[in-house]
Amino acid sequence: MKATRPHPGGGALLRCTLWVWTVCALLLLYLPMLPPPVFSLGDKGVADALKNPSVAAYTAIWSQPVLLQAMRNSLIVALVVGAVTPVLAVLAAMAVREWRIPRTVLLINLLPLFIPGVSMGLATAFLFERIGLPPSLLSICLVNILWALPFAFLVVLTAMSQFDPVQLEAAWMLGANRWRAFWEIELPAIRPGIMGAATFSMILSFNETARTSLVQGANNTVQTYIWSTYKQIGLSSTLYALMTLLILVTLVLVFGFWSASGGLSRSDK
Amino acid sequence: MASFNRRSFIAAGGATGTAMLGSAWPQWARAQALKLNFADIGVGDPGDWSKFTAASGAGVNLVAIGNAPSAIVNVLLAGGGKSTYDVINIVGGMQKPLVENGLIDEIDTSRMPNWAKNGYLKDFFAPGQPGFNFIGEKGKIYGVPSVLQGDSFAYLPEATGPLDSYGALFDPKFKGYVALEDNYTTAGQKTALYLKASKLANIANPDNMTASEFKTVVDFLIERKRAGQFRTLWSSFEQAVNLIVSKEVKVIDCWEPMVGAAAAKGVKSVYAQPKEGYLLWAMAAYIVRNPARTADQTKAIYALLDFLIGPWYGAKITLTRSYMTNTQAVPYAKATPAEFKPDEAKKIAAIDEGVKAKFKRGGVWQNRWPTAVEAYESEWARFKAAPSR
Amino acid sequence: MRPASWTWRNALLGIPLAFVTLLLVAPLALTFVISFWKRVGFGIRPDLSLASYASFLGGVRLAILERSLIVAAEVTLIGLLVAYPIAWFLALKTSARAARIVLLLFTIPFLVNYVIRTFSWSYLLSRTGPVNSLFIASGLTDAPLDWLLYSDFAVTVGLVMSYMPFMVFPLWLAIRGIDPRLIHASWLLGAGPARTFVRVVLPLSMPGVLAACIFGFVGAFGDSAVPVILGGTGYQLIGNEITSTLDVLNYPLAAAMSSVVIAAMVVLVGVWASLFDLRTFLGKALGR
Repeated sequence: MKATRPHPGGGALLRCTLWVWTVCALLLLYLPMLPPPVFSLGDKGVADALKNPSVAAYTAIWSQPVLLQAMRNSLIVALVVGAVTPVLAVLAAMAVREWRIPRTVLLINLLPLFIPGVSMGLATAFLFERIGLPPSLLSICLVNILWALPFAFLVVLTAMSQFDPVQLEAAWMLGANRWRAFWEIELPAIRPGIMGAATFSMILSFNETARTSLVQGANNTVQTYIWSTYKQIGLSSTLYALMTLLILVTLVLVFGFWSASGGLSRSDK
Repeated sequence: MASFNRRSFIAAGGATGTAMLGSAWPQWARAQALKLNFADIGVGDPGDWSKFTAASGAGVNLVAIGNAPSAIVNVLLAGGGKSTYDVINIVGGMQKPLVENGLIDEIDTSRMPNWAKNGYLKDFFAPGQPGFNFIGEKGKIYGVPSVLQGDSFAYLPEATGPLDSYGALFDPKFKGYVALEDNYTTAGQKTALYLKASKLANIANPDNMTASEFKTVVDFLIERKRAGQFRTLWSSFEQAVNLIVSKEVKVIDCWEPMVGAAAAKGVKSVYAQPKEGYLLWAMAAYIVRNPARTADQTKAIYALLDFLIGPWYGAKITLTRSYMTNTQAVPYAKATPAEFKPDEAKKIAAIDEGVKAKFKRGGVWQNRWPTAVEAYESEWARFKAAPSR
Repeated sequence: MRPASWTWRNALLGIPLAFVTLLLVAPLALTFVISFWKRVGFGIRPDLSLASYASFLGGVRLAILERSLIVAAEVTLIGLLVAYPIAWFLALKTSARAARIVLLLFTIPFLVNYVIRTFSWSYLLSRTGPVNSLFIASGLTDAPLDWLLYSDFAVTVGLVMSYMPFMVFPLWLAIRGIDPRLIHASWLLGAGPARTFVRVVLPLSMPGVLAACIFGFVGAFGDSAVPVILGGTGYQLIGNEITSTLDVLNYPLAAAMSSVVIAAMVVLVGVWASLFDLRTFLGKALGR
């Protein structure tokens, strides 16, 4: 049943206003994405880049081993974090529902949010050193999962807030075991939440600098590399080219991802 | 990953085992197996390490780190940096905290043939000279100075006319069009130089102020901040260049390569020759202490350090970063047209001359770790927290 | 009923908790303990001293903490006001395909490194940048507007632009999950659109509002890049402050600051949890 049937009062005007509102918000959001492609066209300033654009920067990316290594690391970490965190988030959300201590579970899972980034990075780095975990992609992944978990957790909780567990009970009564009930009844209902949690986790991990820089050891990630370059020697058209490429590639990837996952699982609303 | 390769390499056993394994592997595989982790702030990356790998057989894995003391010490102390990094290449003067925390090794200069050939070491870094504080501690040498430079400030000549004093940064004529670096050891020290030279404050040693002396500096800065003198404090290369290129400010306390970067983007700015003198500094490459290191690795590390004060590296860094490096760089660039075109060689020579002139004019060495550094930090925090109106 | 699988299941559900506890509680405890230690040269020595806390709470740094809290609250409020209509619109007033595409569009800017994104803002808002040029060209003003950049305004814009998109998704998720029959029932019972919104949609979307507020607040509070890139002379938030004390290796002070921040957050959450019924915000996620 569509919720968009004629609404008593304020229909068309409201829709129009909100479309404009949304489009304006998007435009403002995308505004800072315009300079990078322009900067990638040349190192001699904006005016010159627009007059004599050159795509040399795009080929230069592939000849910088440090950058390529950083990209590879960031990608691996993002994929791992995007796969593991939603699983943990779902488990945690189920714990909120099934255990009798929802406030405690909530607080503990939200804890990483309260800790300033650099403190968390430093403290976790000390811990890793104590337990003998060497800095590596694993330590980066652990820190990023820790950071992304509260976000994913909240997203999954939000999705589950509208899912009535009575449906699960109905399934049990009809003979399904708990796993099957979850997999076939609950999961499809909260799938947008899980996809959202995965996307959030990947994004957060991809953007993470402060916590990662302290546990990365000899591995660069794109963020820590860009941060260091930005601070000490300035960004080059190559880095801007990388950013532009990332946007284009991910546009394709994420769009395919969402289409494949079915986007909205509920009947077309 | 580099660290795992090295770990499995160490675990392979003692010298004989290593030698046996080594001779059994083809040459290129051996070069891949020995990789040095070189943590650098970006300044020291020549882009191409093939010359070094060809000569020494070791590869270089460059890791980008920040220059702030916490970024370095904390990474070394907590981030497992001790066993991960071999050499860290940062702005020098950090020996005190690094040595006291047992994080770096003393350097045996006899293991580097280029050390004796580098005239600047004698000129500026000999024990007893102020520059020694950038590479040594208590008479021992810990750092290899691969880059030297003198800092002042830059200005847009069309907007301000020629300027020759740090006072321009505080001149009410340029109110709202001045930017300082967010760094108490550079901006703070330059302000102190100005205050001392114009007798506005009683400062004995601008390069090692007492807490109360630095407080006077900060009081002055706060008064200027309230008057609306400063547009902003910058803390990154990109930001400073942008301030010049967009003409957001007319006078800016910054580093010389930013003038070059702005010029490349079409904006002419001039790096001033202040009468109060320059703020001198140098990069220093330190060896990270690691008791588990093998003799082969140490040999490779010294080869790398030697490479850093070698002719090719020096010329490349001077060319790409506009800093002065070592005395062999200029003649090498002139003599090797295959690697450095004639106009590049000329540019290198010009940069070298320029920096030498600065050192001749004199100035004061930046002190990255003054005795009262905590007072510096809390006073600077007071400056930053002061209301702007 | 089935004791073996009961424990198995509990163990499974407890993994995230164990993960967070192991990796976080120990470092937290360490941080808390160190805040009482004393500085000795470059190291720290076990002690039981409130010197660091006194130095933090009695000095200029406290003002930074206050500012961080206020700025974060402002950004959250503005972000909510911007994001809620969008989320409502996407959840209830557009087709599924359009909503999916628009949400997608909201996530893409995050692929650009946030430093570069923030830095782009400083380019856009500068005295000679596109925005000022546009204003001058269209005659809205004669001279470039100084307050667009390196000001509280710029920081607010930067933070809202960085974290508002985070807020759209949970709001959308919550609103779209509202059973449409409830809304229809409200109409049938005679309530107008405004009343339906206030009595039905808004309360049921609270879980999304909670998540959005947390994302916005935590994001803005802990941001280190925006204050430095877009803020005025010396503008900083608590994250920058802590980094700066670590720069002089003053671990006890940094630890004290972190502890105070964490305590403040825990108190905030605690007050909220005791004032509000958890069910309002967690809905059916709490089970029956």
